[in-house]
This record gives sequence, structure tokens and C-alpha cells, in this order.
Amino acid sequence: MILVPDVVSPIVVGLYAPAIIVGILVGLIGLFGISVEKNDLHVLILTDIVGIGMLIFVAAVGTDLAESLILPGLVVELAEILAISEILMSREMRKSGKTVELIPTPLHFNLEILQTAPVFLAIILIAYGAFLSGFTGGAIAGAGILFYVMSIKVRGVPSGVWEGLAGVSGMAWCLWLVGFLVLFVFPQYWLLGLMLAAFGVFIKVAFKAGLIGVMNREEFKKE
Amino acid sequence: MDITILGSQIIGIIPLGDIVFYFTQFNLFMFATALAFTAIIAISKTETQVEAEFGKLGDRAVTVAKKEFKIRRFLAIICGLATAGAMITGDLFDFTLFVCLTGIVNIGIVGAVRQVDVLDAAYQYGLIAMMASLPLFGGAALILAATGTISLLAINTLAYTTPMMILGSILLFIGVAGETGVAPFFATKAEMFRTPGSPFLLIIHLSSLLILVRLIEILLIINKPF
Repeated sequence: MILVPDVVSPIVVGLYAPAIIVGILVGLIGLFGISVEKNDLHVLILTDIVGIGMLIFVAAVGTDLAESLILPGLVVELAEILAISEILMSREMRKSGKTVELIPTPLHFNLEILQTAPVFLAIILIAYGAFLSGFTGGAIAGAGILFYVMSIKVRGVPSGVWEGLAGVSGMAWCLWLVGFLVLFVFPQYWLLGLMLAAFGVFIKVAFKAGLIGVMNREEFKKE
Repeated sequence: MDITILGSQIIGIIPLGDIVFYFTQFNLFMFATALAFTAIIAISKTETQVEAEFGKLGDRAVTVAKKEFKIRRFLAIICGLATAGAMITGDLFDFTLFVCLTGIVNIGIVGAVRQVDVLDAAYQYGLIAMMASLPLFGGAALILAATGTISLLAINTLAYTTPMMILGSILLFIGVAGETGVAPFFATKAEMFRTPGSPFLLIIHLSSLLILVRLIEILLIINKPF
């Protein structure tokens, strides 16, 4: 029973069994490490190795479908490790009675270029990002906003602006999700769905900088 | 519809591109159960747990603060919806993702508790759930490699069962057992249950029971022992 079409070279087909064996070996190495290790934090990190074994299993299939299945696998892996590390932190805080900040060290940019560089550069970056749209454009425009934030930092920024930016980011994300839903439910309106998704993710990624601004707010007030 | 799955007619399908949900009498009942329980959770209030004290005649009431109560109810509703989704999905990989979501949310429901031993149990359960993602996704990937599809409706029409599919099914079973914390991994989950805050905790129990029943249906569809 061979399902693989003839156009695939036999070398690629032959790689499947070694890949599965490598995946099992990686999993076993991770499990062996967990059984030996006693420190909770180290156990958590070793568990991630078992997760990488899972990714090898999925990647071994080697089709387009497998490629699109790796991403949810990776996201699930990350979500679980974040959840468990939060549990671990919460337990340690409960035990010791101390709390820690999300970002323990304050950010200090002691760079002269941030005061002397023209803020016009930020506008160029944002305009170029809007032209690109999508994820890449969002990253470039986000860099522009971040640059603006850091260069204006000496004067201080009103906190309401940043909260608004964070809210817009969340709403743009919803736009992105609606775009995907349109692609699935009404495939005939694919252009609308594509545009919603592209510009939703553009605004969302761009305003990630706004979220950084919210976290920096306490620092603004101090100075 | 003249497609038959395990002897029962398909009542209807919800086609969302290549993601297809389907209803039979069997999984429609479980879907409705999960949704009904989620609705009850959404409108109910948390209980006040009363613990007897050792060496004295006094009782101690353990209440859940408003903030903790809210987040826990939210997570319980998400858990119920994920369970309901796992009941009707016609896509093997979707099923594994729904199972993982219930696993993560289960950790979250007990994560806000202020008791060290409960947090410890949740941590152990989380480790098992993470390790179980290897057989869970690995099994699904093996079945994908053996059959060329992850659609249960397409697998249902296949006339053969290869050893690779049986191996994938076994891995899938181990994965779901670890992710939902049943039989061999039950110990830590029993500890988690000592948390105050029923009925939200009961969704942890209900989700693992329903998902296990659904898993057995999926394994029967894949392996066709009859």
C-alpha cells in the first residue's frame, strides 16, 4: 500500500523511517533526562525536548499539510510551557512570600542618537510598512513606532495614548480573525477576507509597540 | 446524506473549507451534553467549601474571591466549548488540538489557587500533559502518513487497516490518556480536585470523560474492527 505519488524521489520517501526513529530517540532522551533530574525548573526545560520529538514526528510526513500542522503543534507546545512556568512561578512566590515584577529591570536608553535623530525617520518607516501591509509591513511600522517612542521618551508620553494604542491593537486582531472566518464561511468574498486579514495583522503587529509603551508607562512617570 | 459512520447515519455536516464538523446521533448527544453543562456553569455561582478541623469540633469555610471566581468561570466555559468542539469535529488534527486546549485550560482553572499542594499537583499534571503531546500529535501524524488524510470522513471510507494505523491509534490513545489525566496519570488530577470552587472544577472531570468516549469512537472509525 503506497500512497506516495511517483514524482517524489525515493530518497525522500526513504527518509521517513529514520526521521520517526530520530523522533522516538529524542523523546526517550528527554524522558530519561526527566527521570534522572530532580530540580523542577530543569524538568520543565527537559520536557520541551520531548515536545521537539513531537515536532519531528509531524515534520517527518513531509507534505504541505504536515507543514501547516507543525505550527499549531508548536503553538500548543509554547502555550503549555508558558502555563506550567506560570504555575511554577506562582507556587514559588506562594512558598517564599515574595512577588516579582514582569520585567524586573527598568529600561534605560542612554543613547545620544535617540535625542538627535530626526523623528521623520519614524514616519518613513510607518509609511513604508503601510505600503507593504501584512506581517512584514507590521513589523517595519512597529519598528517605526518603537523608534518614535524611544526618541520621545525624554519628554514623557501621556498614558492614555498608550492604552488607546493597545486597544486598537486588540481590535485589529479581531479584524484579522474575522477575515479568516470570511475565507472559510463565504469563500466567494475571498478578496474582502484577504484585505481584512492583511490590514488587521498589519495594524496589530504595528501597535505591538503600543503594548510595550503600556509596560513602559511606569518608567515614564518616574523620570 | 447516505454516509454511515459506525452504523449510524450522518445527520448533517458543517463544511468550513477543509475543516468539516459532522453530526451523528451519537456525537450530537455528547455535543449537547457538553454545551448544556457549559451553560449551567456560565450561570452558576461557586460553592463555599466547609472543611472540618482536626482535633477540634469547629468547621472552616473556604471561599473563593470574586476576581479568582471570574477568571475560573471564564476558563471553565472555554474548557466546555473546547470539549464540545472535540465531540463533533471531523478532522483528526482538530481533535488533538481541542484535547490540548482542554489540557491547558484545566491547568489554568486550578492555576490561580493559593494552595501550594494544589499548585504542585497542577505542575505535575502539566508536565505529564506536555510529555503526552508527543504521542498525541505523533499518533495523529502517523495516521496521516499511513492514510494520506486526516479527515475522519475520508478515513471511514478506507477498506483496509495497516499496522502503521494501529500503531498511530495506540500512540493517540496514550496521548489522550496523558493529556486528560485519566487512568495511570490520575493521581495528580485527584489532588487538583481538592481545590475549593465547584462546580467549575467539575468541567475538568466531564471534559476528560467525554473526550475519552469520543476517542474510542475515533479509534473504531480508524481501525474498523467489525
